[in-house]
Amino acid sequence: MTLFNFRPELRGSGSFSGQSVPRQLVLELLNDAVWAPNDGLREPWRFIYADNDSSGRLSGLQEPAPAYLIVVMKEESDPYKRDEDFAAVCCLMQNFELLACERKLGVRRTMNNWIYDRKQMNAFGVQDKERIAAVLEIGFWDGDPGATPSPQMAEVKFDLL
Amino acid sequence: MSLAELIRGRRTIRSFNQTPVARELVAELLQQAAGLYPSAEDAVWRCIYAGTPESRKRLADYMMEHMAGSRLGKWMPGKMIELFKKRFADIPGHVVVIAGTGPDRQASDRNYAAVCSILQNFQLLGWERQLGMLWDTEPMMQSEGFYERLGIRENERFVGVLHLGYYNKAPRGRSRTPAEKKWTVYAGSQSLK
Ligand SMILES: Cc1cc2nc3c(=O)[nH]c(=O)nc-3n(C[C@H](O)[C@H](O)[C@H](O)COP(=O)(O)O)c2cc1C
Repeated sequence: MTLFNFRPELRGSGSFSGQSVPRQLVLELLNDAVWAPNDGLREPWRFIYADNDSSGRLSGLQEPAPAYLIVVMKEESDPYKRDEDFAAVCCLMQNFELLACERKLGVRRTMNNWIYDRKQMNAFGVQDKERIAAVLEIGFWDGDPGATPSPQMAEVKFDLL
Repeated sequence: MSLAELIRGRRTIRSFNQTPVARELVAELLQQAAGLYPSAEDAVWRCIYAGTPESRKRLADYMMEHMAGSRLGKWMPGKMIELFKKRFADIPGHVVVIAGTGPDRQASDRNYAAVCSILQNFQLLGWERQLGMLWDTEPMMQSEGFYERLGIRENERFVGVLHLGYYNKAPRGRSRTPAEKKWTVYAGSQSLK
């Protein structure tokens, strides 16, 4: 298989079945995903995981899902570094989503309003020099693979200098 | 090569050989990269490509023309600037990536996240074709003068320049911290006051 020919069921939305998500699988995928490029090898990420009983607090904030991965990033004081770090975290999440897809695990990447709310963040143990980059809702998709046809992709704007 | 092997094996390449890179390939891989992102149709972004000797030299000039007066440039002798420009212009291709900004932070973050994710796909797709890349955000590029030359508008932001080309030897990867060390399980609301 090549990524070039990878025609995964790349859904970013849809509902999950009730099947629980093995923590070991999430950790395994994360250990591959952390090979994301990141400037200065700062590895500016950490993860807060919630599933089963512990996810109650998230229920008003997120859509229902068997598991949630809160992707926390360090917040540097230098705005350039902050942007680089955010970019690196996005590379990591993208790795994770590709890998999950290969294992038939669905991921919805969310960046809801509450992740910008310091009080809400703190309730999950996010520290002052940190922020939430995104919350990944994880589960096995409900229903038929390929049920959602992918929309027609717009042409990438590619100008010559 | 499995997906995990591809992701683990991709390296940032800082030294390229002179094998030419087809512009069509770069454009195609970018298109593929977008196709591997679920809501890519909503992403607002654009690329400017410098892949000819002339355009590469021009990009290097744009980058360095503001150096002379800058804090960084004061310490750089002219000879060094010329050497730097030559090295830059010798790299087979440069993709300048520009993302749109939204009306608020959340919208901007979402769009920037989409673009960065697509660029990771692009790096992986390139790696699969022996095409190495360096995602460059050096402070040298982060100047108003350079942005102006590139035509970056009010509602846009600079994401980086991806230098690319084929390579003779990939460096060894520097190991990553295991996810377990960066992982906590949320204990639930019981633990909160
Ligand atoms: C957003 C972003 C910006 C980067 N900027 C630079 C840079 O300006 N200069 C540089 O040498 N490397 C840069 N890198 C590459 C990292 O240094 C590289 O990913 C890291 O050293 C790990 O090496 P690897 O990519 O081979 O795994 C950047 C990476 C990312 C994701």
